[in-house]
Amino acid sequence: MSKFLASLVAATMLVPAAARAEGTIEVLHHWVSQSEVDALNVIRKDLETKGFQWKDSAVGGMSGANAQQALRSRLTSGDPPGAMQFLGWEGPQWAEQGVVRDLNDLAKEGGWREALPPQLLTFVTSGDAFIAAPINMHRQNWVWANKKIFDDAGIAPPKTWEELIAAGKKLKEKGVTPVAMGDEPWQIGIIFDALLSDLNGPEFYKKAAIDLDPAALSSPEMTKVFDTLREVRGLVDDNFVGRDWAVATGMVINGEAAMQFMGDWAKGEFLAKGLKPNTDFYCFATPAKVPTFQYVIDSFGMFTVKDETVQKAQVALAETIMDPKVQKGFNLIKGSIPARTDVSVDDFDDCAKLGFNERAEAIEAGSMLGAMTHGFAAKPEFASVFGDVAAQFFVGNMSSEDAVKMLVEGIDNAR
Amino acid sequence: MNAAKSFSSRLAGWLPRIVVAPSLLIVIVTVYLFILWTGVISFTSSKFVPVYDFAGFEQFVRLWATPRWHTAVANLFIFSALFLLLSTGIGLLMAILLDQNIRAEGFLRAVYLYPMALSFIVTGTAWKWIMNPGLGIQKVVNELGWTSFTFDWITDPKMAIYTVVIAGVWQSSGFAMAIFLAGLRGIDNSVIKAAQIEGASLPLIYRQIIIPMLRPAMLSVIVLLSYIAIKSFDLVLALTNGGPGSATELPSTFMFSATFRRNQMGVGAASAIMMLMTVAAIIIPYLYSELRERNNG
Repeated sequence: MSKFLASLVAATMLVPAAARAEGTIEVLHHWVSQSEVDALNVIRKDLETKGFQWKDSAVGGMSGANAQQALRSRLTSGDPPGAMQFLGWEGPQWAEQGVVRDLNDLAKEGGWREALPPQLLTFVTSGDAFIAAPINMHRQNWVWANKKIFDDAGIAPPKTWEELIAAGKKLKEKGVTPVAMGDEPWQIGIIFDALLSDLNGPEFYKKAAIDLDPAALSSPEMTKVFDTLREVRGLVDDNFVGRDWAVATGMVINGEAAMQFMGDWAKGEFLAKGLKPNTDFYCFATPAKVPTFQYVIDSFGMFTVKDETVQKAQVALAETIMDPKVQKGFNLIKGSIPARTDVSVDDFDDCAKLGFNERAEAIEAGSMLGAMTHGFAAKPEFASVFGDVAAQFFVGNMSSEDAVKMLVEGIDNAR
Repeated sequence: MNAAKSFSSRLAGWLPRIVVAPSLLIVIVTVYLFILWTGVISFTSSKFVPVYDFAGFEQFVRLWATPRWHTAVANLFIFSALFLLLSTGIGLLMAILLDQNIRAEGFLRAVYLYPMALSFIVTGTAWKWIMNPGLGIQKVVNELGWTSFTFDWITDPKMAIYTVVIAGVWQSSGFAMAIFLAGLRGIDNSVIKAAQIEGASLPLIYRQIIIPMLRPAMLSVIVLLSYIAIKSFDLVLALTNGGPGSATELPSTFMFSATFRRNQMGVGAASAIMMLMTVAAIIIPYLYSELRERNNG
């Protein structure tokens, strides 16, 4: 009996002991929806084959702001998680505080800098240090359109914003809502970001949204952006207040609305209904002479910790994330494309393939830009001013000139 | 014997202090220390994380140069004033009507009080749909045949703050009613009888006798409702999320987004200090007069 008990105890102790052989890493992130969790499981499984356990610390809500707060309190109490999901400037800003582990040795060994688009390095490096491993890349400036509505009205995917607005007016006359969206500032910001570079070129975008050049901010080009934004407002129905982005996507799917401006996370809604790109729905970039690729990336940074097993696990996690196979598996589920540019496009859907191609072109043409609304251009204190002005302009009846004035004053006040 | 007695009596003297000490300490640390810390931060140039330099009144200047803050302050006054006025008025009216010995009073009382049991998040979400022109009231009335009827305040930046008032009043006037009803039941019937014998009309009795006698209930209602008005962060978040644009921003939502989402910790702290000052400007004279009255009494 006692022998049986002893072996039972031994058996129960063996399982976790074997699993903990190499160590556990706690990962703080804000991914809680089903597809996000499924995508993370790709990373988790690969990490387990290396003998490390993934300890999940998901703090959802407020687009990651809640997770940021959790991180702040963890860092203040001297108990940082092993790894953390970074958005926008969070990584570089934490690195400036000296709490993020430098992964430069791994990056050199793995050729990470060469494998990533150069424009992206701003958000994963800090000085000479390599501070975060990027897993995916979303594109913010997509248009998702109901193909049947376009075909019935004899409209092809537009090549310029004039064409797009003309098409919208035609659809409105036919009683279809041309543009589905909600009034949340970030949904309006997606259109504003696209107009900045589509109307005036990527150079203007860099001057206005990244360098915050006063001349560019108060230029006639900026007025033109607001003028066009006003025309887009005319294409949106009056019930857009409080509408969730996924509800707006649903309107395009059901044929209540013709198109939506949204990042490629909207694609999942179409695919989940069994719809196929270019047969049931269109995906195309916001129209411009030089098509831009406004990127949003998710990366994982590692914090400086004393525990050596956690340090080992951090190395393993970083290598897992940068593994082309893992990037492919992850992004097939998440709907984005790999942050690495050397992953094969096979198995991805047509929209993602288009994304791959246009990314390669954009890197060449210099039109690969960080998406301001999601924190990848100006720092949050400035990006939020753009967001405020664009949103107030969009929902009210401010003139374009007043909006430009408000923008210039707001940016100066935040400097 | 004598020593033991003095020990126990000394213990008895100290016991209340010992019992209160931990909670006092917690309050000192979690409330007053953090108020002090927020005050310190408001005089620094803190952005992403706290830094401890001295920037003078820079953050306050920046705060008052932000149009969103002006909207937030104006909204707080509009919202609090209307919310207090309407909740108290409607609550009092309902209490008086319920007090007329009507049938099924208990049932009606529960109906009117029930919204208070909901969280502001539920209220906000429900009213967001009710007031959406494409889903709620406007659509129903239009479909009934009155096609020119519009009720689209929630989409209009100028009117949106009043939708927050509507939702808030809906939730809280039943609560005001319950307190007034308790106050009405506490009024001695003989006073009213005496007035009736003197030939006073019913409206006159209410205006001149009953409502003045409800003063303590009125004070409780106003204190409790002002506190609900100032903390109504969640209602705005669920109903309009500060929109359209930033039309329904309140100081509390401004403070949250400045500190945690916009890298403006210094401005956020400055706005928190401004809120504290505003509340103090109301509370301190009130406390002063209350305490003086008690000392005199």
